[in-house]
Amino acid sequence: MTKTLKISFALKNTYRVNSILYSIKQIPLVKKLLPDALYQVHGLKVFANVLSLVWEIVSVFLGKFLYFILMISGAASLYQAEDPGKLFLHILVLLTVIGAFSNTFMFNPSRDKYYAMILMRMDAREYTLVNYGYAILKVAVGFLPVSLIYGLGGGAPLWVCLLIPFFVAGLKLAMAAYSLRDYEKTGRITNENGLNKFMWIAILALLAAAYGLPAVGIMLPVSVSAGFMILSVLCGAVAVWKILVFDKYREMYQQILAKSMAQMDDVNTMSRQMSQKVISADTGITSNRKGFEYLNELFIRRHQKILWKSSKKISLVCVCLIFGILLAFYLVPELKEKINGLLLSFLPYFVFIMYSINRGTGFTRALFMNCDHSLLTYSFYKRPDFVLKLFQIRLREIIKVNLLPAAIIGAGLAALLYASGGTENPLNYGVLFVSIIFMSIFFSVHYLTVYYLLQPYNAGTEMKSGTYQIVLSATYFVCFLLMQVQMPTLLFGVMTILFCLAYCVAACILIYRLAPKTFRLR
Amino acid sequence: MKFIIEHLSKNFEKKEVLRDIDFTFESGKIYGLLGRNGAGKTTLFNCLNRDMKTDGGRFYMEDGGLPREVAAEDIGYVLSTPTVPEFLTGREFLRFFLDINEKSIQDPRPLDEYFDYMSIEPEDRNKLLKDYSHGMKNKMQMLINIIARPSVLLLDEPLTSLDVVVAEEMKQLLRSLKNGRITIFSTHIMDLALDLCDEIVLLNHGVLEVVDRADLDSSEFKDKIIAALREESHD
Repeated sequence: MTKTLKISFALKNTYRVNSILYSIKQIPLVKKLLPDALYQVHGLKVFANVLSLVWEIVSVFLGKFLYFILMISGAASLYQAEDPGKLFLHILVLLTVIGAFSNTFMFNPSRDKYYAMILMRMDAREYTLVNYGYAILKVAVGFLPVSLIYGLGGGAPLWVCLLIPFFVAGLKLAMAAYSLRDYEKTGRITNENGLNKFMWIAILALLAAAYGLPAVGIMLPVSVSAGFMILSVLCGAVAVWKILVFDKYREMYQQILAKSMAQMDDVNTMSRQMSQKVISADTGITSNRKGFEYLNELFIRRHQKILWKSSKKISLVCVCLIFGILLAFYLVPELKEKINGLLLSFLPYFVFIMYSINRGTGFTRALFMNCDHSLLTYSFYKRPDFVLKLFQIRLREIIKVNLLPAAIIGAGLAALLYASGGTENPLNYGVLFVSIIFMSIFFSVHYLTVYYLLQPYNAGTEMKSGTYQIVLSATYFVCFLLMQVQMPTLLFGVMTILFCLAYCVAACILIYRLAPKTFRLR
Repeated sequence: MKFIIEHLSKNFEKKEVLRDIDFTFESGKIYGLLGRNGAGKTTLFNCLNRDMKTDGGRFYMEDGGLPREVAAEDIGYVLSTPTVPEFLTGREFLRFFLDINEKSIQDPRPLDEYFDYMSIEPEDRNKLLKDYSHGMKNKMQMLINIIARPSVLLLDEPLTSLDVVVAEEMKQLLRSLKNGRITIFSTHIMDLALDLCDEIVLLNHGVLEVVDRADLDSSEFKDKIIAALREESHD
């Protein structure tokens, strides 16, 4: 038993350490400094091992803390409950039921299980018992401090708080034992990554009960919650016996893992199929243009599902929203003043909105998956003048696609400003409209430039560039931060316009200088 | 016409994949490039197609004794897994290709003539390429690569996954194309190499060398190649 524990720990650790080293290697600059033989460097390995150990300990508690803060206590504090202890237990019990069948550990087809039981032929029963026991222990230990802190703070009695860790563990054990028995009797396999329709309905129903019922004042009485918890602990105790005597772990895992591993290997094929699905099969789509314009027109028209259609949908939603607010002005005139204030100080917020409705990422992804991925293998396609010509055409197209919703939002904001009482400085109308348009152009230029300069995919359509991901995350982060900024619309608008202009000019210069060299398969 | 590689080298960090490639290819011949797994055949092709930067050395064309740079359109590269733009039909892809290369393609033919030449059935010509079978995609890729009449045609394991009929068609095609150009053909299948190629070149330890056939018969020649590959990998 101890040997199995040791081996499975070592295995998991090696896997984790190598993952840490691998992710370190993905960081640009750092990767140039590190040798290929990185996985053999002793010092680094020790460092990664320490990280791995720290992570193991932190993960025991951190996840539970976040879970309690976000899902239970935090959520509970949103209701004005008379009896917070009752509400706390109500949410906890219902969420624990969800967790008992959707987060089982035992039926999670993870890679380390595949390596240990299938590839390395470890004894399946021993491996499972040791690791499952450890996982359940981690659950109980991890829940203890948070239950005490948040349970007592939330107004639950001490004995109930002490019971929580055993309740969570007990219910998980009971569910696992039930699934094992089900397998013995019917041959049905439980796989938590392949929940069926009923499970999803159950999850939704339980979530609705956990968060919806308290809103209308219905909660499980404390006695029912406590009773259920005690019952679960008892069932858990019985379940331990079932889990120990179950002797078909090997054949069960063979089936669970074989299925999932096949799926994992196919992730790439699947993402390619997904990309190909967006290609319109309409044979009526043709083009009378020539050369690259011909290629481009066919591309845009065969991908209208993710380009024009979705941009039109967004535009329609925006039109409805704007008319909705105008109607609200008419019905509730007090709103006007509020909205007027918002319009003159919340322009930074719209950076994030323009970011989220931009079609740029979808466009570049489709460009690569369905077009460049194959054409880049032909030498004619890589001729510098062709690369630049096509860049111009594509830039024009993606700007056009994004411009429709932008124009509607820009004009809508200006109209709302006027309808909500107007402004002393008429320049505000213009700046509002133009800055929204420029934001849209900025994102279009940004995505396409980054795509041309960093060309993040390899021939197997895997994303290979860490830099690309960092740039995209940074974009998101900046847009997100800007939501926190409040600035007079005039000032921010003018700044946005100037920045976008400068960025577009800089981007185009960079493209002309570098793209013929950078726009290659990796 | 000659295609000359001088002292070409390529490292991946410390691993020398191509050490010192020094070779002259002559037009009119099909060269069979043999090497063990991981010997660097695809790396060599990627370097020659400029998908990858080399670390040293150079390669150039020699026309009538005069050296000149290799232009992008000199090289045709057919990958082992055919890649074609999925959102176009076969006919559209061909039309696009002819459009943008109209200056460099002498005597363009009607589209259907090209399809006939590759024996791509009329009903398939207007289908989206994403719905083409593996063999048809391969034919399409080959067609695009030969219309432009590249001086050097690189083929990376092109026949391995084709059914016997298509493979035979392709072999005939390659034979008919070999005049006036250099064809370099990488493969793991010895019989195919012996059947199709005029010269057998080994890539081993980052170096290219020709195996002299002299007057050996087929099976002696095979033994010699195997021995060369085996021996060199153990020194």
